[in-house]
Amino acid sequence: MPSQPDTSSHALSLRDVCYRYPGASGYAVDGVSIEVAPGERLGVLGPNGGGKSTLLKLVLGLLEPREGSIRVGGLTPDEARRRGLVGYLPQKVNAGLDWPLSVRQVVAMPITSRLRPWQQPGEEAKESIARAIELVGMLEHANTPIGRLSGGQVQRAMIARAVASGPRILLLDEPTVGVDVVGQRRFGELIERLHDELDLTVVTVSHDLTTVAATSDRIACLRRTLHFHDAPEGLTPQVLADVFSHDVESVFGAVHVDAHAAADCDDPTHTHHEHSHDSAHNHPHSEDEGERS
Amino acid sequence: MNTLEYLTGSQAHLFWPGVVTALLVAMLGALLSPLVVLKRLAFIGQGVSHAAFGGVGLGLALGLGGDSLADQAALQAVVIAFSIGAALGIAWLSARPETKPDTAIGIVLAAAMALGFILYRVAGQRASASGSSRPPALESVLFGDVLSASWADALSACVVLVLVAFALWWSRRRLIFWGFDEPASRAFGVPEGSTRTVLLVLLALSVVVAVNLAGIVLATALFVLPGAIALARSTRLGGVWAWSVVGAGVSALLGLVLSFEADLMPGPSVVLAMTGAFLLARLLPRGA
Repeated sequence: MPSQPDTSSHALSLRDVCYRYPGASGYAVDGVSIEVAPGERLGVLGPNGGGKSTLLKLVLGLLEPREGSIRVGGLTPDEARRRGLVGYLPQKVNAGLDWPLSVRQVVAMPITSRLRPWQQPGEEAKESIARAIELVGMLEHANTPIGRLSGGQVQRAMIARAVASGPRILLLDEPTVGVDVVGQRRFGELIERLHDELDLTVVTVSHDLTTVAATSDRIACLRRTLHFHDAPEGLTPQVLADVFSHDVESVFGAVHVDAHAAADCDDPTHTHHEHSHDSAHNHPHSEDEGERS
Repeated sequence: MNTLEYLTGSQAHLFWPGVVTALLVAMLGALLSPLVVLKRLAFIGQGVSHAAFGGVGLGLALGLGGDSLADQAALQAVVIAFSIGAALGIAWLSARPETKPDTAIGIVLAAAMALGFILYRVAGQRASASGSSRPPALESVLFGDVLSASWADALSACVVLVLVAFALWWSRRRLIFWGFDEPASRAFGVPEGSTRTVLLVLLALSVVVAVNLAGIVLATALFVLPGAIALARSTRLGGVWAWSVVGAGVSALLGLVLSFEADLMPGPSVVLAMTGAFLLARLLPRGA
């Protein structure tokens, strides 16, 4: 029996979610609670190895939480994924761009892979594939082999693939790795357009502040536990320093973080230095909480 | 003696099964070849074909070296089971964080070959001691001897070809999604484990059949060259598979003609003809 959708349903709800990889001594994700309203855009910011990818895999149902519960539109992650409620944009480097596939064939994959071998996509499916391609501005390239596209065009095709099956929630995994500043801005605009036109809930996972700020109404900083959970305006250099503190040198290098901190300081909304835990109203745990392991 | 004499002369009935088997096996390789090339499975194919030698050694050591149809079928079953086991073993080792895929293949390939040589020798010694039929010449195992194929070999190649074609058609969408973008396909609900297993089992089964034509050493070529030819000529999914099958079929026939005309070994001749076709496919200008 599939679980029934929760009537007071959040688009995404995580309650005290913990995950530890087999054989690992510590938790990768520890006591994370987040609720995302339908149509909201959440950014999850954190250092590499901070648990972002794990969180995404948990939401996709590829990992089972050790403790806590996850609901996607009131359903278990598996059920939500099976019903096509979840759209996913992976890091683009994973796809084999030498495959002899047109943009249309790539965009159609989430729909056609659910069909029986003898079934062909119906008119409705073909229309939603065409609409997804049109929304990302790739209609003129619909029949172009994927390998002939530029990096930005490939990403737009992948975004079309993520929304083609009519998902309610869109998960973006490090979407702007290797994309320049202009590309990042265009990406932010495109996500905003999709969010508005398709009434999507968007969750962006990234270690890059610019990306998260451009695509989110609310930011959750994750380094194993949630360190901060609020509107982007409350994100001060101190919060960032706190989240990234332990591995600033090893993971980001001093220059990278300084550049972000400087950018934040230029922003009048980021000049106050009075951040307290009170601003993190959804903060589920004290930052000083000890490791469970 | 030229090709026409071979195929119409008094000995023709000895050669036709080999020609038909060669054509079927070339097409079998061609069906899987685009996936092998695009999913970078050539080295796994190499591992499996060498593992097949371990299976041959095991079968012979078990006393399945006789000429009877039952012995032949039992030997094939042992080789197929051994090769599928090797393919799954490679996949299992590769999936473990402490072993890289090329290390896994290197281990399985070398171990199976070593086992094959030892058991092959044991079977030979046992046969000469008991006076029973000796195992087939090592050269024909290593380099193939398709022209000695019987109609039973042609029939079994045909059955495997139909089976593989049907299985590929049945799981084509998830195979292509998984092959193109593995992490995303998982996130969109494509069952990763069973998709990979289906492909590896089909590959292992086909490699064993291909060993008949090109031998253990050259069988991988039948799974690499047709796809490479096709990808040099087309950027469309249907076009790539059509080029692969037609390219492999035509070059297999040309290879056999070459082998008849110049009295060369058929397996290496087919592989050389395919290599020539690949060079042509790369060098000739491609239409829009």
